[in-house]
Amino acid sequence: MLELVPLIIAIPWFGAVVLWLTGDSHPRRLGWMAMIFSLASAIPAILMIFEPTAIDFVIPIGGVFGDFTFHADGLGKFLAAVATIIGALAVIFSQDYMAGQAQLARYYAFILFFIGGMAGLVLASNLLLVFFFWEITALCSYALISFNNDDPKAVAGGMKALVMTQLGGIGLLVGALLLYSQTGSYDIQTFIHTPGVLSPQLLSLMAYVFLIAAAAKSAQFPFQTWLPDAMEAPSPISALIHAATMVNAGVYLLARFYPAFAAVPGWRLAVMLVGAISAVLAALMALAANDLKRVLAYSTVSQLGYMFYAVGAGGVFASQFHLMSHAVFKALLFLAAGAVIHVAGTRDMRQMGGFGKQMPLVRTVFVLGALSLAGIPIMNGFWSKELVLEAGLHSGALWLYALMVFTAGLTALYTCRCVWMVFYGEPHQERHLHDAPSYMRWALIPLAAGTLLTTLMAGPFSRMLERTLPDHGIHAETTFHWLMEVVSAPATLIALAAVAIGIAAWGWRGRFGGLARGLRWVMHLADNSFGFETINHQVVAQVNRSAETLRLTQTGYLNWNVAGITFGLVVVLVLLAVGG
Amino acid sequence: MTVSVAVASVCAVFGLVGIGFYGLMMSRNLIKAVVALQIAVKGVLVAMVLAGKLNSQLAVAQSMALTVLVADTIVAVLGLALAVQIRRHFGSLDTTEISTLRK
Repeated sequence: MLELVPLIIAIPWFGAVVLWLTGDSHPRRLGWMAMIFSLASAIPAILMIFEPTAIDFVIPIGGVFGDFTFHADGLGKFLAAVATIIGALAVIFSQDYMAGQAQLARYYAFILFFIGGMAGLVLASNLLLVFFFWEITALCSYALISFNNDDPKAVAGGMKALVMTQLGGIGLLVGALLLYSQTGSYDIQTFIHTPGVLSPQLLSLMAYVFLIAAAAKSAQFPFQTWLPDAMEAPSPISALIHAATMVNAGVYLLARFYPAFAAVPGWRLAVMLVGAISAVLAALMALAANDLKRVLAYSTVSQLGYMFYAVGAGGVFASQFHLMSHAVFKALLFLAAGAVIHVAGTRDMRQMGGFGKQMPLVRTVFVLGALSLAGIPIMNGFWSKELVLEAGLHSGALWLYALMVFTAGLTALYTCRCVWMVFYGEPHQERHLHDAPSYMRWALIPLAAGTLLTTLMAGPFSRMLERTLPDHGIHAETTFHWLMEVVSAPATLIALAAVAIGIAAWGWRGRFGGLARGLRWVMHLADNSFGFETINHQVVAQVNRSAETLRLTQTGYLNWNVAGITFGLVVVLVLLAVGG
Repeated sequence: MTVSVAVASVCAVFGLVGIGFYGLMMSRNLIKAVVALQIAVKGVLVAMVLAGKLNSQLAVAQSMALTVLVADTIVAVLGLALAVQIRRHFGSLDTTEISTLRK
């Protein structure tokens, strides 16, 4: 039988090498090749979903690395499918969006490398291998955010993403080495079945460093500042990072290790807290932002907060279901925003307005995505968000639940504001806009359909997770049952009321002028990212100062360097002589 | 007084490496630096052969030493070629004058 697991990683990576070698001489051919490779990598990912059991694949390495094992269970299969399918749609969208740009070989090669890296990350079952793929996704995100490398803001954004997600990488490496030092193996499955192999103290340490790793990767509190700055990337890359790859990795890590860490004292509450704080802060910042892509970036942080919250509450299924909905509607929103920015030439929403008339298709799909984000009934975002909130309610921490419901209202408010400022309202200047060209439509329409249809997968999806993840406490139900559970829960009415208040607040914004003025200080704080940027700047300044001080040791004279080497040699010899 | 081969070799190692490092530390002339580096590397070669002899793996050590010898010749050639280019470019071979990276 054909091995599907290595194919999912090998096809995009092979494609990346081929595109790199092809060079930039024929951009159209390059685009077609990228589409073929990305679609081809989605095929094994989709086929794998229909396999009833988990698939194992081993590359025997042995030694200190352990064998390179892959274990494609429900979680891995699902996220690999998300990465490859949404990735392929982003590549299709890029055909129009990136037309005429230079260095497309680099662009497409890194996208394919990114997709393969993400698939490897979620399928690998050796923690060292996970770390390896984790770093590949960090590298690719850096390279793609800084794709326009003559723009200093893009380079700075890429660098920031690299440095901040590196903190997460260190956390993951510490966890991996800790596991190896205690058990002599990197195997994740063994560890999840028997977390007792680590002493309670070490298990706690590992649980918390993994939380740091996940928070840094998924841009959660207190690392949330890198994601909005990553908006300097081309829009398809934003869609890729926000929906298909990268930020999902953090949620994946927590969901994967949930059975091992759930019993660690305080860990679940910490995960919920990180999620809730991120959700509410990011929603406030989205309300204050005027850059279209920044609003969407903050909304990603906020929605990832919901997923963290769900994992902490024990709702692994709810978190993954929301991840699926979010992947679809956020990819749609980013690509539609890309279509707007492509023709408008600006990202500032204050200079937009009234675009809907000239771009009916883009308006329609964007509104569908926005309704989903806001959690309006029937859309996929509604069902999954309600499941998350329900999981949170059952976990007990009522004040956190209240915070999340409040955030749902805020989400509806900032989504209305965003849609209104871009597509409705009065046009600020005469522009000649045109609707999305053909490739863009091919990417937008399936995603728009997805916002209505992915809900129907709830039943099969829960069955797939239950069958292959026995330790995660997932109960399989039919789609109808899940939908009825949401509809019949009283909590749904509370959340819907919050959403309605959010929408009403935008509708009657004129009447609440006094209240808005009273809350201006909150918006001012949100506009300044609640002081987190200041902390970042101080850390950078401190590092620069230390570097300047250490620079004194670098005289630049050859003789001094040799003297240093000689001194080092003498020290080593003395140590050897003394040490025996 | 008889001196064993091993003792003589150790003396040669320390002598050659010492002379090489002394030259690198004290000389400001780039060509002298290349010569000093060569002397230090020759000392290291002797150490390598001696280590092979002591571990009864003389053949391996000798073949390694030959490999290093070839690689080291390339280093010397490149170093001298660079020195020629630097002399043409800067008009000087003084390492303190050409270390523009410091500024």
